[in-house]
Amino acid sequence: MKKILFALVIFVLGFSTANLFAGGEKETEDKMVIRVAEQVPNLITPGSWDGQAFSMNSSIYEYLLEMDAETGELHPSLATEWSTEDGKVWTFKLRQGVKFHNGSSFTSEDVKFTLERTQDPDLGHLKAQDFSIIERIDTPDDHTVIITLKSVRPTFMYQLTDYNMAILSSEYDYGKLGESAPMGTGPFKLSQLVPKESALLVKNPEYWEPSLPKAEELRIYFVADMEASVSLLEAGQVDVVPQVSPVIARRLTDAAGFKVVSPYQEHRFVALVADREPFSNNDVRLAMKYCIDPQILARACQGVLGETFFYNETPILNRLAQFKEITFRGRNIEKAKEHLAKAGYPKGLTVELYYASDHPYGSELAQTLKELAAPAGINLDLKGFPRDIYLSQYWLNAPMSITGWGVRVDPSMLLTLAYHSEGPWNESHMNDTEVDDLIDSIASEVDNAKRQSYYDRLQELFVERGTVLNIQVPYLVAMRSNVQDYRQPATMLCQYKYTYIE
Amino acid sequence: MEFFKRFSKRLGFMFVTLAVMSFIIFLLVEIMPGDVAQTVLGQSATPESLKALREAMGLNDPIMVRYFRWAGGILKGDLGESFYMRGVQISSIFWRRVGHSIVLALTALLFYVPLSLFFGVVAGVKAGKFTDSVISFFGLATMALPEFVSGVILITIFSVSLKILPITSVIPIGENLWQNLKILVLPALSITFVMFGYVSRMQRSSMINVMNSDYVRAAILKGMPRGYVIFRHALKNALLPSITIIGMNMGWLFGGLIVVETLFGFPGLGSLTMSAIKTRDIPLIEACVLFITLVFVVSTFITDMLYAYLNPRIRFKGGEA
Amino acid sequence: MKNFLLLLKQNPRAILGLSILLLWILLALLGPSLLPYSFSQMDMDNQISRPGLNGHLLGTDALGRDILTRIVYGSRSILTIALMTSLFSSLAGILIGFTAGYFGGFWDTLFLRIMDIVMAIPPLVLSMVVLGILGDSTIASLTIIVSIAYTPATARVARGALLSCKGSEYVDAARIRGESDFYIMFVEILPNTLGPIIVEITARFAYSIMMIASLGFLGVGLQPPTPDWGMMVIENKSIIREAPWAVLYPSLAIASLVIAISLFSDFISKVMIHEK
Repeated sequence: MKKILFALVIFVLGFSTANLFAGGEKETEDKMVIRVAEQVPNLITPGSWDGQAFSMNSSIYEYLLEMDAETGELHPSLATEWSTEDGKVWTFKLRQGVKFHNGSSFTSEDVKFTLERTQDPDLGHLKAQDFSIIERIDTPDDHTVIITLKSVRPTFMYQLTDYNMAILSSEYDYGKLGESAPMGTGPFKLSQLVPKESALLVKNPEYWEPSLPKAEELRIYFVADMEASVSLLEAGQVDVVPQVSPVIARRLTDAAGFKVVSPYQEHRFVALVADREPFSNNDVRLAMKYCIDPQILARACQGVLGETFFYNETPILNRLAQFKEITFRGRNIEKAKEHLAKAGYPKGLTVELYYASDHPYGSELAQTLKELAAPAGINLDLKGFPRDIYLSQYWLNAPMSITGWGVRVDPSMLLTLAYHSEGPWNESHMNDTEVDDLIDSIASEVDNAKRQSYYDRLQELFVERGTVLNIQVPYLVAMRSNVQDYRQPATMLCQYKYTYIE
Repeated sequence: MEFFKRFSKRLGFMFVTLAVMSFIIFLLVEIMPGDVAQTVLGQSATPESLKALREAMGLNDPIMVRYFRWAGGILKGDLGESFYMRGVQISSIFWRRVGHSIVLALTALLFYVPLSLFFGVVAGVKAGKFTDSVISFFGLATMALPEFVSGVILITIFSVSLKILPITSVIPIGENLWQNLKILVLPALSITFVMFGYVSRMQRSSMINVMNSDYVRAAILKGMPRGYVIFRHALKNALLPSITIIGMNMGWLFGGLIVVETLFGFPGLGSLTMSAIKTRDIPLIEACVLFITLVFVVSTFITDMLYAYLNPRIRFKGGEA
Repeated sequence: MKNFLLLLKQNPRAILGLSILLLWILLALLGPSLLPYSFSQMDMDNQISRPGLNGHLLGTDALGRDILTRIVYGSRSILTIALMTSLFSSLAGILIGFTAGYFGGFWDTLFLRIMDIVMAIPPLVLSMVVLGILGDSTIASLTIIVSIAYTPATARVARGALLSCKGSEYVDAARIRGESDFYIMFVEILPNTLGPIIVEITARFAYSIMMIASLGFLGVGLQPPTPDWGMMVIENKSIIREAPWAVLYPSLAIASLVIAISLFSDFISKVMIHEK
């Protein structure tokens, strides 16, 4: 009996040792393959896609317009021309000869379908509100779309670059197949998808730009843990890891053979909700603002204030053209206490802060805010939940919240959605007539200079009595040194069609 | 005959257990707070669309109706459709993950069973001596480490220093688990540590008891060589309790899989359960928990039967052990 | 009692275990007042700092918080929850197990079957599902749910202990005297079954610590910034290369506590059971 046991032990040891050196990724036989390790996506159907994990969708789907990663300019993609005379009626000319991956032709019917789909009440489309301003869509021929809006929107074309506005085929059942078999017109098409594990994308041989994509295959691994993704990168098993923490970025920059790029900053809005206690009183909001020390927030996120990390008290990102530099008020606990006392809270107060605990930087920011606010007597009671649960159960009902917002290249879209009193995602429940008027003016103003003056005034108002703290956190992409031409504009849609490996 | 009666009685009870468990699991998950329709449609959903979705998902039916609908589906092999990922059949992801977890569990078994039995026996035979102290202490130390702790320590060693084993369990595209067996090693080792401690200690005390029993001492006094006595007599009886322990710990092992798979990103049932819970994907949670329960109940049953078969007292006299 | 201390002196391992346990309890009670930092205090000049530097004996984590302080504060919650869990589950177990064992027959069989069924879900899975869906874990919810998960096991032990006493003479004597069932169970039998029950409580204590740490690791521990050893491990795992101490020390804390309790539990088991 003992002999049998002994034999088993030897077998086990031998078995494990043998497998230590077996296996591993096969040689890719001279094919150019880009391997990516990124977060596990939740839902991936455009319309329900919550903006996690961009590699797959941005390679399979395409949009009417594409943004230049360097300059921010809009380039033709599925639309070759776009124009408007009054800002109300928009004419788009579509690219000819484009086919979906399943062979059907891309026509104006598909654009109409994609846009009308946003208004489907059974879908819960994330862009329903953004596109409710469409009054009518006409398709005079297969390659022309005329969109009539309910009111003037000079910057409407930017809305079509939103990541959820991928152009879908009117003949494909995305309700049934959107999660398991995504299908679009993009440079790569889906060959194999193991949900939540991996996706194999291959070059689309009928792509409308014959010289693209440069790579033959795009292999995407969904790995929940960032550290694990990076270990794959270091082991040579993947080439690109979108979204690494600054600590890891530092480690990789020091090591040979890797590089880290920073395409843009993500932002986190801290909403000080204005229609209930305690933040209904502007003094309390000001008290909170006086507690903030951006330097400490930056350090908590391992970023550098002014380089990879920014802070302001308006919804406008620092790097946008519309940003107006307003001197920061500085941390002042005495002033914070004064404002609290004025508001009727001489002994301080407690407020619940809700946030997504598994979203990058969420936990660090929540805890740092708590520490920063404590000396003034503001006790933040932290309530972290997994992201999906946070967004669906708590987000719009919380008295104070931290939420990651996708970059909206044209800030007027964001303002209308989130800070207009009638905005559907008005997380801070802001209700200020002057702000509403300014937002409406911005949306409809054709003259650039005039529009900028509205932006300036709006930002001043926010500093005075706004309901938001705008924290811009580092977004870093790590890759091997031989990966060239990685492009990711502010739309967050990475453009792997240009990327190649030396 | 006695054995057969016992067998059928236990088998019957096993099915009853499963049926009752399935109801309890269903109830537990369905009565949890949180509106499923809201989770699916998000915050911008209108009350009408929420109502429509609830209707479509059959959430407005009475709970017994919903239970039987679900249970009926399960018996037919249809695990239902994921609430969260619309249109995705649970079966399409589920069975692959289950297969992976079974391989992981078996690998862990393969590691820890021979090792812990062997060392347990050695410790028992050399009770009180230095070898015993070393083995016992090692067993105690590893038993005290929750799996994630031993996992983290392994990750530190292998990622920082040794770098020969992957610290994350990714299966390259186009390949399957069998071509990448090395991703099993670290997760299985993490489980092994805890189980080793527990089983080796049990085995040791069982061995000590047997070594002190009358017939063993008599055999040694009669002059039979010690080694012979150990092999031929003591071992058989000492191993019996351990079989029970190993079997009963299968359920515990499957629970531990959640931790280990999450830590290593292993694509198995445990990590699937975690992501189901994080997204409140009710049918998926139900399917995962039901399966884990199934494994436990079946392994308990098999252990019981194995024990009864091997234990002559039960096999031939048919009493309750 | 004197006997107990004598036996203790003869068992160095038990002494080791008990001392470590007492040390932790001491730290939990007095530590916070002795430490210069608070557990959420962020020393931004010393983020991810090595142990021993700048007044941080065990180093700091990514937010500049002192790890020693967080471990000491963490010991409070984990000891409290684990202790309450082992007591509650034992209490519930005694009530259920005694009733089943004492009245026997139908109730007993029913009880056994129900316990078997409930034990079919691994306690970690059960706790994880319930806490995960509830979302927000507090000391109360953790205690209650883990206690419920552990009750079937303790009930079985209690039942077994009662059964071994059921046929004793003093029980018969009490019956003849006309004492109520309740009296017999809790005044006559209970004191005589304390041995295995105390062993069970100490064993549960050790398991609870592991369970709570695991739940913290899985993300359903106490809300940050309250220190939770399991959550400290997972929080700092992403900087494991830069700061292995941030993961190592909480792990060692967990391990030391469980080992200590296990050693002591072993000893108690030897004492209580062999005293029969």
